[in-house]
Amino acid sequence: MLRAVNLVKSFPGPNAEPVRVIRGADLRVAAGEYVAINGASGSGKSTLLNLIGLLEDPDAGELWIADRRLSGASRTEKSRARGRLIGYVFQSFLLIASLTALENVALAVRYTGGNRAAARRRAQALLDEFGVGHRRDHYPPQLSGGEQQRVAFCRAVLNHPPLLLADEPTGNLDDEQAHVIRDALRARARAGAAVVVVSHRAEPARDADRVLTLIEGVLK
Amino acid sequence: MRRLLRGYVFTITGIAVGVAGLVALGAMAERIVRFIEGGDRFVLGQISVAGKGMGMGVGFTAGGLLPASKIREVAAVPGVAGVQAQIMLPLNTSTSQFLTLAQELVLGLDLSTPMPNRHYRELPVRQGRFLRPGDRHVTVLGADFAASRGLRPGGRIMLERTPYTVVGVLERMLTAPDRFAIVSIEDARELWVAKDPMLLNFTLGRGDLNTGAAVGWTLSEDGDTVARRIAATVSGVNVTIPSEISRVLRSSTAFFSALLVGIGALGLVIGGLSLSNTVAAAVFERIREFGIKRALGATDLQLGNEIFGETLAVSLAGGAAGIGLAAALGVSINAYVAARGQHLFLFSPRLVLGALLFSVVLGGAAAAYATVRVVRVSPAEAIRRGT
Repeated sequence: MLRAVNLVKSFPGPNAEPVRVIRGADLRVAAGEYVAINGASGSGKSTLLNLIGLLEDPDAGELWIADRRLSGASRTEKSRARGRLIGYVFQSFLLIASLTALENVALAVRYTGGNRAAARRRAQALLDEFGVGHRRDHYPPQLSGGEQQRVAFCRAVLNHPPLLLADEPTGNLDDEQAHVIRDALRARARAGAAVVVVSHRAEPARDADRVLTLIEGVLK
Repeated sequence: MRRLLRGYVFTITGIAVGVAGLVALGAMAERIVRFIEGGDRFVLGQISVAGKGMGMGVGFTAGGLLPASKIREVAAVPGVAGVQAQIMLPLNTSTSQFLTLAQELVLGLDLSTPMPNRHYRELPVRQGRFLRPGDRHVTVLGADFAASRGLRPGGRIMLERTPYTVVGVLERMLTAPDRFAIVSIEDARELWVAKDPMLLNFTLGRGDLNTGAAVGWTLSEDGDTVARRIAATVSGVNVTIPSEISRVLRSSTAFFSALLVGIGALGLVIGGLSLSNTVAAAVFERIREFGIKRALGATDLQLGNEIFGETLAVSLAGGAAGIGLAAALGVSINAYVAARGQHLFLFSPRLVLGALLFSVVLGGAAAAYATVRVVRVSPAEAIRRGT
């Protein structure tokens, strides 16, 4: 499902010297596989996930998702791939404050051309499944952290993406809420999605089929 | 849409304040422009003739006495279509020596002759009626003249210790007639003699007491040509050439025209900067939201259309709110100063449409700039910048 070959990414440093964050990362994840990537804070885990999720362009390397070569693809092709092939769960939820919980979830189909009425029904069903259906008309600031993360998870899986990426998905949650999210990730993998979770903590790795560690910009 | 506008309430308020300033300046400029244009239109619509000399009258009939015999001579000049004897007197002689743009005047008209001015065949009456032949001791008032004294048809006003009944009030024209009290020429002659009893020492017929005459020309003729013909044919008169008096009027108001250009330019720069800065800032401050939408699959085009559409709606709403704000302010101030016979703001259709167009075009340009900047940023970078 996912194949990344020799990904490299640098950022401008304070003395105009580029700081190489990812130094040739290789990664393969099959459909239905749950992979956890561990690493210390600042090791480049989020950068790697951004590269895999097409949120940022690598300086070098190649990337295939669902057998489509997306490194070097046009901006429009990458946008479409983000909408149809990839779901994201972010540590800080990244919900849009001016939209209700239901609207945040349904937003996932606005740009992929799906039926909006059907999407709202599906969004409601997902919110119900994750126990936040009664909060559908609440705005993110009116929700607890755990509720926001569940809404964000619903948004990430609304389009049934074959690749689900999660960046520290339980980093801001208490144990009970973290458990709900970990179960949900595991369930998506069982349903056939390739799941990649990055975290500096050990808990998410407990459920993983495979655990990798990012050390000095290289996956080991 | 309502939620969108609510989310942009500060942006809309910011735009509204900038546009309101621009529109208020524009409305004051429009008021002055209308005054200047009205005067220009008036002088281009008639030939004004006065007697040779100076100092007898005021306004466009300034000059010496124009006796009845001279009016008959002017009427006989080929190309002349009509001559109306007139008297213009300052309402208050103590201020008549000052050059003012909007002096209060008594205008006496020979009502047996239609008004010969091509652009003002009749003066528009808002309340009551205009003067009729044979009317005595009645008056029709200009809008500001009436408003400053709280007069309406049926009211009474003392002119040189003689009571006059108001029979009509003119529409507000935003030009000189707004400050006129119009009476029959017979009444004006009485008022003139009352102001200047020395006139009784001259052996003049009542019909010779005219400060000037308005002269019209036939359709096939050119006003300037007829005016020159009168000057060449009739001795002892001052004749204004319409195009020359228009030029003089324009040069005398050149300062105001330059001032208006300055005010307009200043308003455009300040309003434009305020509007474009507010719109661009509103887009940039939502960069995180746009990054999230990019992460959810929004293409450059989809996101660009969304931002552009939103900011256009916001610019339009801000522009409309600014116009409303300026109008509310202008109407309030106009109502306040009306008691002093003034009218400061004119919200013409071209000003309102221009301000809306300005808001949309500049808002659109600022939105386009901000949109291009936003969509160039990678989704990850957009999310990072907005955090």
